[in-house]
Amino acid sequence: MSKSGKKDDFTLALLQSGDKLPQQERRRFLKKSLGMAGAITASGLAGNAVAGSKNTPPEVPPWSRRLGAGVLSNPYGQPSRYEANVQRRSVDWLTADRIASISFTPLGDIKGIITPSGLVFERYHAGVPEIDPQQHRLMIHGMVKRPIILTMDELMRFPSLSMVRFLECPANGGMEWRGAQMDRLQFTHGMLSCCEWTGVLLSTLLEEVGVDKGASWILAEGADGAHMSRSIPMEKALDDALIVFAQNGEALRPEQGYPVRLINPGWEGNTSIKWLRRLEIGDKPWHHREETSKYTDLMPDGTAREFTYVQECNSVVTFPCPEKPLAQPGKYFVEGLAWSGRGRIRHVDVSFDGGVSWREARFTSELTPRALTRFGLEWDWDGSPALIQSRAVDDTGYVQPTLNQLKAVRGTNSIYHKNGIHTWKILPDGKVSNVQIS
Amino acid sequence: MYRFPSVPANSLLIVLALLSAGCTQDTSDKADKTIENNIASKNDPLAGYVDNRTGYYGYGSPATTEQITGWDIDVRPDGMGLPEGSGSVEDGETLYEDKCAECHGTFGEGEGRYPVLAGGQGSLKDARPTKTVGSYWPYTSTLFDYIHRAMPFTQPESLSANETYAVTAYVLYLNDLVEDDFVLNRDNLASVHLPNEGNFVADPRPDVANERCMENCRDPGEIKIVSEVSPSAAEQTSVQEGSASPGSAADSAGNAAQKHPGEGTYQQYCSICHAVGVGGAPKLGDVTTWAARIEKGIDTLIANAVNGVTSNTGVMPAKGGFAQLSDDEVAAAVRYMVEVSQ
Repeated sequence: MSKSGKKDDFTLALLQSGDKLPQQERRRFLKKSLGMAGAITASGLAGNAVAGSKNTPPEVPPWSRRLGAGVLSNPYGQPSRYEANVQRRSVDWLTADRIASISFTPLGDIKGIITPSGLVFERYHAGVPEIDPQQHRLMIHGMVKRPIILTMDELMRFPSLSMVRFLECPANGGMEWRGAQMDRLQFTHGMLSCCEWTGVLLSTLLEEVGVDKGASWILAEGADGAHMSRSIPMEKALDDALIVFAQNGEALRPEQGYPVRLINPGWEGNTSIKWLRRLEIGDKPWHHREETSKYTDLMPDGTAREFTYVQECNSVVTFPCPEKPLAQPGKYFVEGLAWSGRGRIRHVDVSFDGGVSWREARFTSELTPRALTRFGLEWDWDGSPALIQSRAVDDTGYVQPTLNQLKAVRGTNSIYHKNGIHTWKILPDGKVSNVQIS
Repeated sequence: MYRFPSVPANSLLIVLALLSAGCTQDTSDKADKTIENNIASKNDPLAGYVDNRTGYYGYGSPATTEQITGWDIDVRPDGMGLPEGSGSVEDGETLYEDKCAECHGTFGEGEGRYPVLAGGQGSLKDARPTKTVGSYWPYTSTLFDYIHRAMPFTQPESLSANETYAVTAYVLYLNDLVEDDFVLNRDNLASVHLPNEGNFVADPRPDVANERCMENCRDPGEIKIVSEVSPSAAEQTSVQEGSASPGSAADSAGNAAQKHPGEGTYQQYCSICHAVGVGGAPKLGDVTTWAARIEKGIDTLIANAVNGVTSNTGVMPAKGGFAQLSDDEVAAAVRYMVEVSQ
């Protein structure tokens, strides 16, 4: 907001984006929803707030009549104990054990576009190494003029910068090529997070070591037991690849690669090597296990696509969803997340009838390239069954495809890069099921 | 002491120099010169320092050949990076049965959800393809590289070069790609071609073209639900350890206090084998199998878990292969497993 109390350009742009209710309709809507709010309080919310509670008006709750905990009772702050249910979860049948496994971000519970560090999805191939930053080293060698070894202190002395970017496992949604089988948003789309990442551009380090003529690939390798490795094309390294030591304002979490990791914005998360110990510059890709046996997309004709780096434009409705059903018919603000590895989100449309008709949603967060973008729109649910979908368009003009369009080209065995339009079915009682439609 | 009075400004110069070099398609030599000119220009207070420093900032130490050799483990399809050494199918068989079969199966068929290594040739177009070294992987070098960098699962980077060649040879043999008298070495590895090498293609995306239709986009009568997961299942979903039930105010610290002190270690480490019985490991909760062991006394069980033990029913590596665990952590995990399994 500016001093005059007027909204700034960005806020105005957000409010003006999307499908506007006509002015008259809006006034009627506001009037009605105010009345509605009273009704909800009487019937729904009061009951929600614990029946027979002595802590709701007109009673005064005990926490208002005594002192609370003082400073430093919790030197590193934690969420309220009432938020204990907001946590990463896993699906045991997905992997053989919990060391080489994955957990999912609770997308239905997080707000805004930043994923709190402790809720960022986990993916390990040999568990989380416990690394002493004083003893960690980053080696840069290969086709370079000056191979070097950096301590963390030395790395952090280079000019660094911060960017908000999403991180998504290319297997996100990969369990549902053949049909719906996950029972909550956390599992259908939760291999997805978005953080502010702080670090040194890889291009800065390459300038420092002097890259030889003919160098075109970089092997990034982790210090974990899997020595996780991926081949990164030089174009990405010179574009926006970032050698990251901080996330959301603090040191990387161990789960996220402490003390240092690579982030390849917009690319499959697997390439963003955690616990980074080595960068080797070469003239060919290495074709390692995680870019041949895994993270390649098997097509119906038996061929497989390799080096499928970009996470294409995608979106999902986060409210309502199976974890967040509708209490009763009435006015709702439907919400969701959209993202594209190629750039900014340009439009998000929402359908309530399985894709027959669409309304453009408003953006409710800043439009940052290769970051999560939040959208929403008003919906008056009359209690009849509905099929809710969202469809994002990015600034390359790419329109998020239907799942059937994807399957027509790729079949059902490609595992990775499933970015098809997702469908939630609203049942008459307001519960939400995960469905796929013809 | 660092005498860089205007580091950010100069760094910008370098970036600009590189960018302009790129735009005019200068050779990298030329670009380097441009950088040096910028750094060592007459007006630059840094002139004269350049030659003594690594790169521009001069941070870090030169990586010595010895240091690089210790970490440079990667191998490429053309054989670059392969170490000296060799290994036979015969030697590989012994190693495989000792170190690999408990997860990957005697014939590479895979135990539990651990990867299948052999078979599946010709299945890639099937409804349920089996992707193995023989049916899917493009390069033998990848197998060598991966075994050396990440296997055995609980003891990564523990195999010598000769052992890695031998295990690689044996996995090739399990896939009928080499004979039983085959010996793999640095010189012949790149010439062992895998059947699926030619079937990898470049990423052609975007490969679908949806349209941004807004009205009457499809016939409502055609819309049918083809698969559905009911929300009632959501409540039955196994909410994983550490999670409180919905609406519960119990904080995680409270939960941790109620947990057995060894449960965390069990879940994180021991469960890899003891949840499903990999390698003859007694399964958690299997009262019969545990009874015979419990008879030996808790001290013996803990000592075996800490130091490792081999019996005719299986192998327990010292601390399960997780050397970073303290003896107390292992002991607590053993107590937990005994408690739950009697």
